[in-house]
Amino acid sequence: MEHPLTQYLPIAVVFGLAGVMAVAIPFLAGVLGPRTRTVMKGEAFEGGNAPMGSARQRFAVKFYVVALLFIVFDIEAVFLYPWAVNFRALGWFGYATMLVFAATLVVGLVYVWKKGALDWES
Amino acid sequence: MLNTPTVTMFDLHVVLPAAALVFGAIVLMLSEVFLSSPNRTYMAVIALVTSGIAGVVALNNAFEPARLVLQGFAVIDPFSSFMTVMVCLGTGLASLLAAGFLKHRNAERGEFYALMLFAAAGMSLLAASNEFITLFINLEVLSVATYALTAFLRRGPRPAEAGFKYFILGAFAGALLLYGAALLYGATGTTRLSDLATLLPGAMATRGGLVYAGFGLVLAGFAFKVAAVPFHMWTPDVYEGAPTPVTALMSVGVKAAAIVAMVRTFLALVNGLDPQVPFILFSLLALLTMVGGNLLAMPQRNVKRMLAYSSIAHAGYLLLGVTALFVPDAARSSDAGGVLSATPLLANAAVNASVYKGILFYLLGYTVTSIGAFGTLAAIERREDETRSNTWDLERLAGLAQRQPGWAAAMAAFMLSLAGVPPMVGFLGKLYIFSAAVDAGLIWLAVVGVLSSVAGTYYYLRVVVYMFMRPAAADAPATFRHWTTEVALVVSAVATVALGIVPGPIAEWLSRAGMVFGG
Repeated sequence: MEHPLTQYLPIAVVFGLAGVMAVAIPFLAGVLGPRTRTVMKGEAFEGGNAPMGSARQRFAVKFYVVALLFIVFDIEAVFLYPWAVNFRALGWFGYATMLVFAATLVVGLVYVWKKGALDWES
Repeated sequence: MLNTPTVTMFDLHVVLPAAALVFGAIVLMLSEVFLSSPNRTYMAVIALVTSGIAGVVALNNAFEPARLVLQGFAVIDPFSSFMTVMVCLGTGLASLLAAGFLKHRNAERGEFYALMLFAAAGMSLLAASNEFITLFINLEVLSVATYALTAFLRRGPRPAEAGFKYFILGAFAGALLLYGAALLYGATGTTRLSDLATLLPGAMATRGGLVYAGFGLVLAGFAFKVAAVPFHMWTPDVYEGAPTPVTALMSVGVKAAAIVAMVRTFLALVNGLDPQVPFILFSLLALLTMVGGNLLAMPQRNVKRMLAYSSIAHAGYLLLGVTALFVPDAARSSDAGGVLSATPLLANAAVNASVYKGILFYLLGYTVTSIGAFGTLAAIERREDETRSNTWDLERLAGLAQRQPGWAAAMAAFMLSLAGVPPMVGFLGKLYIFSAAVDAGLIWLAVVGVLSSVAGTYYYLRVVVYMFMRPAAADAPATFRHWTTEVALVVSAVATVALGIVPGPIAEWLSRAGMVFGG
């Protein structure tokens, strides 16, 4: 009997080749490439302008909140889409389930709104 | 063709307590943003009423026959329903404690109680889960809520340290559990525990290594959650850094739910394995946890850390009960041909029933006692102390008998109950567990358990000595009193003593919990 994983052999070959390339090409570039080291070349490359300030900046926590909210509603869309495609087949059971799911998220949105997490300037 | 699952109202009984808890949590979140009354004690009352309703619904479920519901993804049986009742009891008492505690720190927020109720909903469903993905999701629901609660008081480095440690290690343990479940799925092609029980004997013949690896990973994941030695390292730091009412909830709710889920999972997973393997692993865990927890608690002068180590020791006694379920049947394992197909469980059904009762009664006793012990600490600790290192030093309890005789008497009752001194409930819990273990043939393990619990008496009684025989420090700060704290302490103290003297009706109810689905 053919081993069930045999059909995945080409994928394994691709992974193997990718691994070899990832190791071999930087190695070859390091060995064969000519190099001249100057202070100018050692600077961080930022679109051609001279870099200023530190790269280690602190970000406002607001971005984090927005990212989380984005994920919540992104996931909601992920769940809504297959339900919408199978709307008829899933019938009232699917409708009721989705209604509970969406209502929970709406309550969450109301909470977030009243809490002020959607105000950028505050 | 899609097959839509048929769900009857009968099926939904299992989610009703959790639904009530989630509804209460949503009400609390909305009340936080829509009502801006300066007095927020009403939030604790909402949380209390919600957990009361959920507890009554769960109690009603406990008298229904055990059965599979929701296509076998969950079970409804007295074991899980009684666990939910205890979780609701613990959540209600912890939210009363939290009311006074948070008011004193100006940190009363609806989110705090909402997170507590979400955690309780997760615990309730975790106990009823009969499928690995359901189990994992509910484990995460309760864990994520407790991670957030741990770091709720953001001032100072301690809550941040505790929250971060708990999050990293909890996520790691969750990943181990999930990995184990994936391997078991690879071996059998199912994630449903009741199907695993029937498919594992066949899978053992062809993919024994996978099954054992999955078994070990799932065991390690659960051992982290119940804080069994040697997976206990996070416990003292997290318990110390968390707000004390949250510590109280963690020590009772999270532990109880994890133990119940562990029992249900391993009743299925031991099928087909060499019965010696789970027996030896669980014996080792129980032994290390009982002895280790008690020995580590002894040198602690910090009462909160001492109680954290003591909760590890108590997990050890519960694991002793769990071990009693997996004692291999001597007659059968001697039959060389039948070793692989032997199910050690069917042989001693009578013992198993007394083990379930013992575990549940122990959890009930530990719930009221531990909530009370942490509650007294929460009542004594002062906001001004938070930055100092001696917040929970034994000296803080010195002379409590003169300053607050009621609290001192209650704390003495809790300490005696934790030590297992009659007539407190802790004694009866230990009696049930140890006698079930002896009936199962675990005589030496039970002897070790009794000896280590005797050793534990030392650090429990030291607290009593400090309260009653040492004079109070001259600069002892006045205590902050709040009626909710008093109510919670009175209820848990009365329950600790009363359940120890007349366990009658409750122990009778819990005997019915001998019916675990599939056990």
